[in-house]
Amino acid sequence: MSNNHRLPRLPGEWIDRAHSIEFEFEGKHFQGFAGDTISSALWASGQRVLGRSFKYHRPRGIFSLANHDVNGMMQWGQKLNVRADVTLLEMGMQLSAVNTFGGLNKDPAKVLNHLSRFLPVGFYYKAFHGKRLFPRWERVFRTLAGLGKVNLSTPRLLTPKDYAFCAVLIVGAGPSGLAAALAAADQGADVVIVDENAQAGGSGGYQIGGELAKREATEALLVRVIAHPRIRLLTGIYAAGYYTDHWIALVDDKKMTKLRAEAVVIAAGSFEQPAVFRNNDLPGVVLGSAAQRLIYRYAVRPMQRAVVLCANADGYRVALDLIVHGVMVAAIVDLRAHHQPCDAEVELAAKGVEMHTGTCIVEALPTPGCSGVAGARIAAFANGVADAATARDIPCDGIVMSVGWAPAANLLYQAGTHMRYDDLVEQFVPDALPPGVFACGRVNGVYDFKARLLDGERAGSAAAAHVGFGEKRSVSVPVELESSSFPWPIVAHPQGKNFVDFDEDLQLKDFENAVQEGFDNIELLKRFTTNGMGPSQGKHSNMNALRILARLVDKHPREVGTTTARPFFHPVPMALLAGRGFHPVRRTPMHLRHAAMGAYFMSAGDWQRPEYYARQHKDRLECIREEVDMVRHGVGIIDVGTLGKLEIIGPQAAEFLERVYVSRYANLKIGMTRYAVMCDETGVVVDDGVVARLAEDHFYFTTTTSGATAIYRELSRLNTQWQMACGIINHTGAFAAINLAGPQSRKVLARVTTLDLSAAAFPYLAIREGKVAGIPARLMRVGFVGEWGYEIHVPAEDGVALWDALVAAGSPFGIRPFGVEAQRLLRLEKGHVIIGQDTDGLTTPFEAGLGWAVKMDKPFFIGQRSLQIVDKQPQRQRLVGFRLDQAHGGPAPQECHLVIHDGAISGRITSIGWSHILCAYIGLAMVTPELAKPDQTFEIRITDGSLVVARVTPTPFYDPEQRQQKEEA
Amino acid sequence: MKIINCPINGPRPVSEFFYWGQMRVMPDPVASSDDEWADYVFNCNGAPGVKREWWCHTPSNTWFIIERDTEKDQIVRTYLYGEEE
Amino acid sequence: MPWRLLRFVTSGKHPEPQMFTHHDGLKKVYDAVIIGAGGHGLAAAYYLARDHGMTNVCVLEKGYIGGGNTGRNTTIIRSNYITPEGVQFYDTSVKLWQDLSQDFDLNLFYATRGHYTLAHTDAALRTMRWRAEVNKHCGVESEVVGPEELRREIPMMDMSCGGHAPIIGALYHAPGAIARHDAVAWGYGRGADQRGVQIHQQTEVLGIEVTAGRVSGVRTSRGFIATSKVLCAVAGSTPRILDMIGVRSPIYIHPLQAMVSEPMKPWLDPILVSGSLHVYISQSARGELVLGASLDPYELHSTRSTLDFTEGLAAHMLELFPFLSHVKIVRQWAGMADMTPDFAPIMGKTPIEGFYLDAGWGTWGFKATPVSGKTMAHTMVTDTPHPLITGFSLDRFRNYALTGEKGAASVGH
Repeated sequence: MSNNHRLPRLPGEWIDRAHSIEFEFEGKHFQGFAGDTISSALWASGQRVLGRSFKYHRPRGIFSLANHDVNGMMQWGQKLNVRADVTLLEMGMQLSAVNTFGGLNKDPAKVLNHLSRFLPVGFYYKAFHGKRLFPRWERVFRTLAGLGKVNLSTPRLLTPKDYAFCAVLIVGAGPSGLAAALAAADQGADVVIVDENAQAGGSGGYQIGGELAKREATEALLVRVIAHPRIRLLTGIYAAGYYTDHWIALVDDKKMTKLRAEAVVIAAGSFEQPAVFRNNDLPGVVLGSAAQRLIYRYAVRPMQRAVVLCANADGYRVALDLIVHGVMVAAIVDLRAHHQPCDAEVELAAKGVEMHTGTCIVEALPTPGCSGVAGARIAAFANGVADAATARDIPCDGIVMSVGWAPAANLLYQAGTHMRYDDLVEQFVPDALPPGVFACGRVNGVYDFKARLLDGERAGSAAAAHVGFGEKRSVSVPVELESSSFPWPIVAHPQGKNFVDFDEDLQLKDFENAVQEGFDNIELLKRFTTNGMGPSQGKHSNMNALRILARLVDKHPREVGTTTARPFFHPVPMALLAGRGFHPVRRTPMHLRHAAMGAYFMSAGDWQRPEYYARQHKDRLECIREEVDMVRHGVGIIDVGTLGKLEIIGPQAAEFLERVYVSRYANLKIGMTRYAVMCDETGVVVDDGVVARLAEDHFYFTTTTSGATAIYRELSRLNTQWQMACGIINHTGAFAAINLAGPQSRKVLARVTTLDLSAAAFPYLAIREGKVAGIPARLMRVGFVGEWGYEIHVPAEDGVALWDALVAAGSPFGIRPFGVEAQRLLRLEKGHVIIGQDTDGLTTPFEAGLGWAVKMDKPFFIGQRSLQIVDKQPQRQRLVGFRLDQAHGGPAPQECHLVIHDGAISGRITSIGWSHILCAYIGLAMVTPELAKPDQTFEIRITDGSLVVARVTPTPFYDPEQRQQKEEA
Repeated sequence: MKIINCPINGPRPVSEFFYWGQMRVMPDPVASSDDEWADYVFNCNGAPGVKREWWCHTPSNTWFIIERDTEKDQIVRTYLYGEEE
Repeated sequence: MPWRLLRFVTSGKHPEPQMFTHHDGLKKVYDAVIIGAGGHGLAAAYYLARDHGMTNVCVLEKGYIGGGNTGRNTTIIRSNYITPEGVQFYDTSVKLWQDLSQDFDLNLFYATRGHYTLAHTDAALRTMRWRAEVNKHCGVESEVVGPEELRREIPMMDMSCGGHAPIIGALYHAPGAIARHDAVAWGYGRGADQRGVQIHQQTEVLGIEVTAGRVSGVRTSRGFIATSKVLCAVAGSTPRILDMIGVRSPIYIHPLQAMVSEPMKPWLDPILVSGSLHVYISQSARGELVLGASLDPYELHSTRSTLDFTEGLAAHMLELFPFLSHVKIVRQWAGMADMTPDFAPIMGKTPIEGFYLDAGWGTWGFKATPVSGKTMAHTMVTDTPHPLITGFSLDRFRNYALTGEKGAASVGH
């Protein structure tokens, strides 16, 4: 189809006639121009039906042409819910309307339009809830609802995010916004001005109404703005949300820009509001501003013969624009009984245009097939009521309405502006603005063109002054002479179909019925009717809904108030919100060595750690078992660099540790280490580690991997609060650490250090400083895995060298790296607890079997006072070791399987594993005290429901005398 | 995004900060009864108002106090612990 | 087409009675006053009237019916908790839910969809096994499922999660459901109203009179009411009310945010939660995706929105479902959550005689609406905590008897 409704070339038109664009809609071929939106190109080609409505599947066409309604929502390949009014045409687009079944024209769901009497407001609350049948009905509803289709094979779209800063941000590049930008920039402020339209100028570019001077004035402002060195003008980008401290989400079709401003001027203008009459949603019934946009932006003739419904001067100006561009204006119908004629009206009268005052449109008459307008039925209108007796029909193919505006105050609301209803302009205007937020132009209730420029200047100057640039200019903005909004543009009709919310197909009677049912405040009404909850979020419906409610409950609109406007102003694609995503991962210095040795990595918080090292032709369990065997019988090496590694120095260092850990450290000998358990204030175990004393006033200590960040942070806080004479340093990322463990470990280490490794010189639990492979190191003799071993800490940059040196030194002994899984089993054989696995968020050290470490007779430690209270109560649970019968052959219990006693839950398994060396399943379980007695048996219920008998066994399971780790072989 | 004025590092976005909670004064553990201690450990002043809170600027590990209106989310002032005046 | 809709055609007028009666003023005396006309408060009023015949009751609401967290939550209903007490409590709730639409003769759109909590780590999977075992023990359908079943049931999900946090299993809870949240408040409100309970909207409580340790009345923005029983059911504002009577509690308030997409044709049946990514998602009957994440990190008594919430949530959601890249988020909002140290509610009696508390609902209050109403009504009438809520008493903190939900709390909901 071709551009048969295209006007001759117009100055300032947005289309580029040199570039023709071919596309398809609903399987038909169309052609438009570069610069067209989907809607303008279709309209230019005579396509009036752009989509079907949400509930009744009624045909819909251009309405606002401004993204204030969603009549034209398209599926474009993988893109769903594409807004045809504002999406630029692209070559080869293949489009279809969303929410139809079998195409726009066929759509059998249009039968719903005829069933609408069965489907009053909230009908779905009143039926379909038979328990058996509801799931089927729900399926029907879900299929009928929903707009576009998600293509499940759409790939993740990675988009960039941008950041911007400015002194003054201006939202809206219409006349008042441009004036504000110039005023602010002239005072020295760095200004960003954004506009959602493809080109700046706002209404100054299309609300001509016979006064080309307005456009010339707007263009002159624009020239100055573009030339101004302190103004950045951005178009095709919208302010999606205002957030605390002037943090604004700016969205274009490629990315999101997060802009921090020091002051914000909202010059977002207003949304033109529909009149409510029967069939006001027919394709061909358009807002006046939409007709003007069609003409001046896209050079499209909106219709051939129009009836103009108005209630303000804007309507007469639209009529002039129509006539200038070849539309025959059959009649102008003014809702107002009396008014002062504007210049445009005088001019129209001179042209002999038929005019009616105190008259309304009661009904748009449909063409056969209801795909367009055949005429307007008008009638006398007084006190908000149409006189049906006076009705007469005027043939036309389009109805243009201009009866009022509502402020585009979404961002003002989000910023916390208090709005008040102004009776003069019949709209909400800002009453109390938050600091640094300013408003001007129509959103501020200023409509006269010259007044808008002054209001912009006022706001721009005030914003710059707020930021510290120049003095706030005193600008007097003239008071509006007339209201641009009619207080009751609503006409009842016995047969309804007079729509208030086009997204949700809500008619006037839906509101009456909702109020009758008791949903008589604005918030309840919104929720029951779903008014304003559709994709356009009430831009074209909230004001009329408010007026209807006010009249129904006999209140002033001021008393009814508005609902909250929340982000976003227009919907934002998830890809733009998500950006590229950010996944911090921490790797130890030896990461690549592990990878080269076949490590299978697991996440431990942010860290990546080898779970085990894979070997050819061996499965996971086999690999882990070999790693364990190597530590028990030879020598193994594990990277423990993810442990938290802290240092505390100062005269009160020992006292500080005594206050934060449950054990005693004042008496710890220099050169020795001691296990350390930390509780929170409620007495619950939160972390553990090892404290080593390097000097009288100097300790080095470790935390768990997952606790490192939080523990360091909290110790820092406590030190800030207690103001003790000590300082804490976090070496977690700065140090690498390796545990060399196994009967051969001393021999391996001896090859790379000159330190005296004899048991006398370097006993169990001692710490020594010296060089290993030439690297300055701290070495601790620890026993976590239950073998002779050394935990060696070196600067992170030397970690790889140390690893390589130990692996080389260990190779004659068959050294192998072992991973987290092997370590877990090795420690389990020793009965050592893992905080967070064998304990949970309520476990005290007494319950965890760590009571031996708790020195209740110390003056103070965190958790002590609570433990005194808890200790008076009977113990609720206790961690015990257990072992399964060696003959157990069925499936083994897993961690978190329950202990069942007398049919009740009496505990759970916290750790379990097959010990090769003990030839049995061993584990730890948190059980009730009566099951914790030595040699007691208890039953574990496994997934299949069967019960497995376990026997309480003292820990350590392996080497209970601790000879392996302490004594020389 | 909210801006917080760290006493050491100046105004920074809230994403750089860690919130600990209200400042609480620990009663004498020896002198206080079990109930008084439990009240200190568990209960808080949950109603809105201007509260003194511990916050940490995490990149620099700076702990400090914010006096904040918890209803309006407005910061009255920020200062290092012990440097209130 | 159900026949009942015929009456809308055959009747010239809208044949629906008013759901809520208008009352010009407050009475001087009520047998009980309920503060808060959210789901919980109205449910308590409903069961007081229906089950106990106590109808001289008023419900005071400073805003409008269901305008607090009832209308702000993401409508997920489940009972896969970790303590037997919790499981029994919520399971009772789920059973009440299932019959509620028919009880009310109001369609709540209660849709059983199944609920998956995804595990990305061994530790998460361990906790899920714990939940599953406790649930099964209490007769609630929950089980740990492996990657194969997830691939079969949710084939569109990226099991590698963008390569960042591969999914290794999940807890599947078949009774997991969603419902139309506002309608729940309306249903309870209408039911209570029909039985004589007075609901007073735009009526703010300014003070509570206590005489010799007993509640004696309530001061409101519309006058004084004498009463001997007051129920506080104002999640998100509980500390303000408790301050009026000088009762200390561990409740602190953090905002919880959520967001919703434009409608699209159905593609997601179950409710999905990822504890590690801290996100959850379901698709409503209207076709919108309802998306949520974890609590805001600091105390705030406001429902402001943040941009970083939407950024983080969208990023995580696209890891699970990359094909949502073009789906648009239409709106975000927030509620204020009453948080407790052990992730369980605070219900029952207080040190003030006649003052009952239904609070501390954190992020999980919606699912408990029916059972909390029922048990609180019982507690108010008998002045004895209902057996299902004894574990949730306020004095559990004084006694260091916190509930086990703290034991293994991952993300709530």
